[in-house]
Amino acid sequence: MVRLTGKLADGQFITRGVSRCSTERFLLWLAPWVALLVFGVYCAGLCLVKGLNQTNMDNRFVFGLWIFVDLTIIALGAGAFFTGFLLYILKFKELSAVINSAVIIGLVCYSGAMAALMVDVGQPLRCWFTFWYPNVHSMLTEVTFCISCYLAVLAIEYLPVVLKNRRLKEIPSFLVFEFELHKLIYVLAGVGTFLSFFHQGSLGGLFGVLRGRPFAFREGLMVWPSTFFLFILSAAAVGPSFLILTTWLVEKITHKRLVKDQVFQLLARISGILLCVYVLAKAVDTLVWLNRTSPGLGFEAAQYYDWKPFGTWILFAEIVLFGLLPALILITPGLRARRGWLIPATALACCGVALNRFVQTVQTQALPTLSFDRFLSYSPSWQEVGTFAGVLAYGVLVYSFSFRYSQVFPEERELKAARVMRLEIPEEELVEAGR
Amino acid sequence: MAGAVLTPAPWRLITDTALWSENWPGVPRPARGEIRARFTTCALCPAGCAVRARCVGEQPVLLTGVSGGLCPFGLSAHHLPYHPARLRKGPVAEATAAVAGKAGQGIAVLDLNPGRTASWSYRRAMGAMKGAYLTPQAEPFAYDLSAARTVLSIGTPLLDGWGTPSKVNAARPNFRLIQAEAMESRTAMLAEQWIPIAPGSESAFAKSIPQLEAARELSLVLGEGPEIAEINQRIGAFGKTVFGRSEAVVPETWTREAAAVTAFADVPDHSIAVLLIDETPATSYIPWHRIEQKLVRDNPVVVTFAAHRGGYARHAQFALPTAMYPEVLDDVAPAADAIRPVFRLAAPLVATPTGVVSLAEFVGTLSGVPVANVLRERADAIHHAGQGTLHTYADRQRTAVKELTADAFWKGLNEGGEWTWEDAKPRAAVMNRAEVRPVEPVESPADLPLVAISEPHYAGLVSPLLTKLYQESNLLLAPNRIALHPKDARDAGVVDGGRAMLQTRLGKCAVEVTVDAAVPAGAVQVGSAPGIQDVCGHAARAKVVSV
Amino acid sequence: MIAQGKTNVAARYGMSIDVDRCNGCGACMVACAAENNVPPAANGATERTGLTWIRVYRVDNGGEGNERRSAFVPMLCQHCGKDAPCVAVCPQQAVDVDPATGIVGQMPERCLGCRYCMAACPYHARSFNWSDPAWPAGMEKTLNPDVAPRMRGVVEKCNLCQGRLHTAKAKAAMAGRVEIDPADYVPACVEACPTRAIHFGNLNDAASEVAQESHRKGSFRMLEALHTDPKIYYQSKKDWVRETASAPRPGKENARG
Repeated sequence: MVRLTGKLADGQFITRGVSRCSTERFLLWLAPWVALLVFGVYCAGLCLVKGLNQTNMDNRFVFGLWIFVDLTIIALGAGAFFTGFLLYILKFKELSAVINSAVIIGLVCYSGAMAALMVDVGQPLRCWFTFWYPNVHSMLTEVTFCISCYLAVLAIEYLPVVLKNRRLKEIPSFLVFEFELHKLIYVLAGVGTFLSFFHQGSLGGLFGVLRGRPFAFREGLMVWPSTFFLFILSAAAVGPSFLILTTWLVEKITHKRLVKDQVFQLLARISGILLCVYVLAKAVDTLVWLNRTSPGLGFEAAQYYDWKPFGTWILFAEIVLFGLLPALILITPGLRARRGWLIPATALACCGVALNRFVQTVQTQALPTLSFDRFLSYSPSWQEVGTFAGVLAYGVLVYSFSFRYSQVFPEERELKAARVMRLEIPEEELVEAGR
Repeated sequence: MAGAVLTPAPWRLITDTALWSENWPGVPRPARGEIRARFTTCALCPAGCAVRARCVGEQPVLLTGVSGGLCPFGLSAHHLPYHPARLRKGPVAEATAAVAGKAGQGIAVLDLNPGRTASWSYRRAMGAMKGAYLTPQAEPFAYDLSAARTVLSIGTPLLDGWGTPSKVNAARPNFRLIQAEAMESRTAMLAEQWIPIAPGSESAFAKSIPQLEAARELSLVLGEGPEIAEINQRIGAFGKTVFGRSEAVVPETWTREAAAVTAFADVPDHSIAVLLIDETPATSYIPWHRIEQKLVRDNPVVVTFAAHRGGYARHAQFALPTAMYPEVLDDVAPAADAIRPVFRLAAPLVATPTGVVSLAEFVGTLSGVPVANVLRERADAIHHAGQGTLHTYADRQRTAVKELTADAFWKGLNEGGEWTWEDAKPRAAVMNRAEVRPVEPVESPADLPLVAISEPHYAGLVSPLLTKLYQESNLLLAPNRIALHPKDARDAGVVDGGRAMLQTRLGKCAVEVTVDAAVPAGAVQVGSAPGIQDVCGHAARAKVVSV
Repeated sequence: MIAQGKTNVAARYGMSIDVDRCNGCGACMVACAAENNVPPAANGATERTGLTWIRVYRVDNGGEGNERRSAFVPMLCQHCGKDAPCVAVCPQQAVDVDPATGIVGQMPERCLGCRYCMAACPYHARSFNWSDPAWPAGMEKTLNPDVAPRMRGVVEKCNLCQGRLHTAKAKAAMAGRVEIDPADYVPACVEACPTRAIHFGNLNDAASEVAQESHRKGSFRMLEALHTDPKIYYQSKKDWVRETASAPRPGKENARG
């Protein structure tokens, strides 16, 4: 029955006024991701059933690929909260064009990170202990509370995206629900913004508070180390960049224009300005750490960079190559207006935040603290990589389904209509009209 | 119903679910029972440390030393009965028939832990059967560290399980230790002076001792090799720090019946038709090729009495399971630093497993010599002599033997006690004018570039918990491992933790590799596994090939 | 029930380890594992995935060839002061510093296995149960009834043989005493050391051996500049051994680890 009417049924779910590929092509696109997801679930299952000996983590590299990936994808997923904040609180109305996409990316990143974390801990069945016996002094408690609450917020914010589906809209109670929900959206955005600001910070604090690890330890304000604020700033800066990057990617894959260029420009400008502030703050923080914090704990900072391959190049890459350079491109209107500059710049910014999270987690653990200890290396096992690949596949699948069956980009229909019109008007006239 | 939510009960239930994961399948629950202490003597090596066993019911759960600590092997001896490599069954009837079938041909017993009462049983049986009683080497000396002021040790693990730890530690503040050794061993690390010598050059170094600056001050030289006794005699150590080995008194009939003690190396080649090896409490290992050399060419019978499958059981026609400490009543051979007679019993802490045989009973049956009650007979002989005191571990009392009845003496020994004859006059050392065997010519280093440095201890069967030292840390070189200097490792193309082949003139052996800058370049430190010892002894030329 | 002995003055249990006496035999490591029901290595476990509550490191002066000198340094949980780096980080209060004893405790039954405390510890004193604990058939009979074995997926570390402290307290309570007899509470590693390199006692008791040794010349603590206030003191007459207690020496890699 489903098979016979499959094509028909599928078409009925697609938003009116937009074109989507055929069911066959969509299934073809899904197949490798589904396979990857199955493999990921198998890998995660191995870790859960046989224990974490399936990974290459050890007593010294206690966190591995997953913590790096978690921190990175949560930073990239920050587009969700930050766009919400800009749209609903600061009233940047243009951003309603990407808010749905941002919410989906946020949901995918946060739920993916949570799933990976559940595999990462030794006793996943005890995860609720953090709520039951919370240690309010622990950054991880903050992280757990905020991420789980914010995930709930994201899920609620995601509901309208789902409910915008053509067939679901036909159900009256859903419409009422959506209407009611919409009234709440400002509250949700506010709560979400607070929660996610806070946990981006807590993730930064995660390593920044480690007094026993002078490479990661930072001084700070009140109970929060400087990395708390730097993480918020970097996540806020990179979130819009990642949104540009993903939207561009979706445009390329679907061969459609989805968002007006001015939205891209606005996002790029925001990202660039914040990135500038971040680079400045990061540079100051690094100097304070190099000259005061680390030596104060008995560790001359220069020695960290004696351990190959983590030489001083990593500092240069983090701050200049992946920080200052994309920041300058993004704040320069002439450069960011061109895709050839804009996209690489956003990609660089995303790499920068990933490198920063890598340094914070992996390099911290690789560096010895005891004088008779070694510099350690670690490479993830296929089970770890597979689990992560599963998270990636899950993200692609959720996004693909949302894109196909919901109205992710509200401007898509408008742009499509404009494009159809434009094709009818000769090029010269269009140029003329533009002037 | 709603009221129940407000009581602590549901919350408590939620909390208690965590307990479920405490009993995750595979997490055993320790047995409970009455806790009591029992005492015995560790029989793993001649040190014979006094042991206090904390028992739950009859089961020992923790071993501790009575006077000071214990070595890691002794501490974990109560795990040995459960070792997965334990030999539990063997072809007893077939072995008996094969040995009986060779009656009248050259029979010999190889005793790898000589100096015990069981050793006397072997000697008596061999005496009755005109067989030979063989030991790894006839060690005629005992050393008194308490009288030493400057000790030169050539590779002897003096501070690492050589003598009785409590005695060595007591004497340690009073002597200066010079350690001559290729590697900075555990002893070299704690010595006042470490003289690094080329690997395998112990003998050459010994010859140069008279030229040493410290030569005049030396009160004792320790080491292996025929020159050492001569040097000790020359520096006047005989009678001061070097004495003859003393043994507790034995029944007079035994000495009359016993076969002579023959060093294994002195046995003519291809003369043994039946070789019975007592391997259980082995403190050393003779490489198989040397054993083979002594066997008749035509169809020899080798029976090893072993507790595990890793040693001669790999080569012998018959491997018969034996009980070992702490499963069986045995006595402990005197240590290298015991200059006066001692007698201690290792009383069993757990029940003797079924299906095991003992070499003493085996040869007793073969020869018709009664061996069933030898320990009691010997204890009675000591008691009859009426000398010395019994030191009981539980109450730390010393009682003169004269004040005890024979039964009380026997009981005291069985409940953890040591008989010593403190005021016995140490036996004078007698220079053994045995032929000094020529040193094997140095082979050309062209194809075998490395010189082997062997681990000082042969660990036959060790507790599974020793993985803490071998595997979960690299504190001790694991028996199946070799250690190489980083440069040699690079040359050989092997990496730390990798696998390799250790190759010598005698053959090759699969090993794991540790790369360690503490090993001198040009040397390879080899683990004590029998497989390695079969092909690579101390100072042997070797090479490491990556696989 | 174990009676709780009430003490008026808080104790601060600590150790004094004489590096110059340690011959690296490893008795402490084995005794610790036997006392605390730490299982033998799981299949394929390495020095980085094993379970060792106390670990003897071989350290050297960095010299080459004949200049090289080594020493053994037993490392265990350093039982830092009340602001131990591992305590604040645990999200569910599975780590605490007992104000009555100064012992840094780890509750395996509360542990989520997030390993954040392991990342926080500069001394690498913790081990994670990467696999199910397994003993060869029959060997589980030798388990100590005073200590519960841990399950897979939790962190464990030295607790100064807290089981023995409870036994000592119970014994004192039975005898109607408030204070425990110091002779009744000696951790397994201290008891096992054949060279008596490790001393144990109450650092708050000025008359105790450890308190006196902690003030002696040549006494030092690991990574003191981190201000973790450890209760494990080391001592050595050798300058280079004392120098190993401070921050890493660049490029001086110890192959033994």
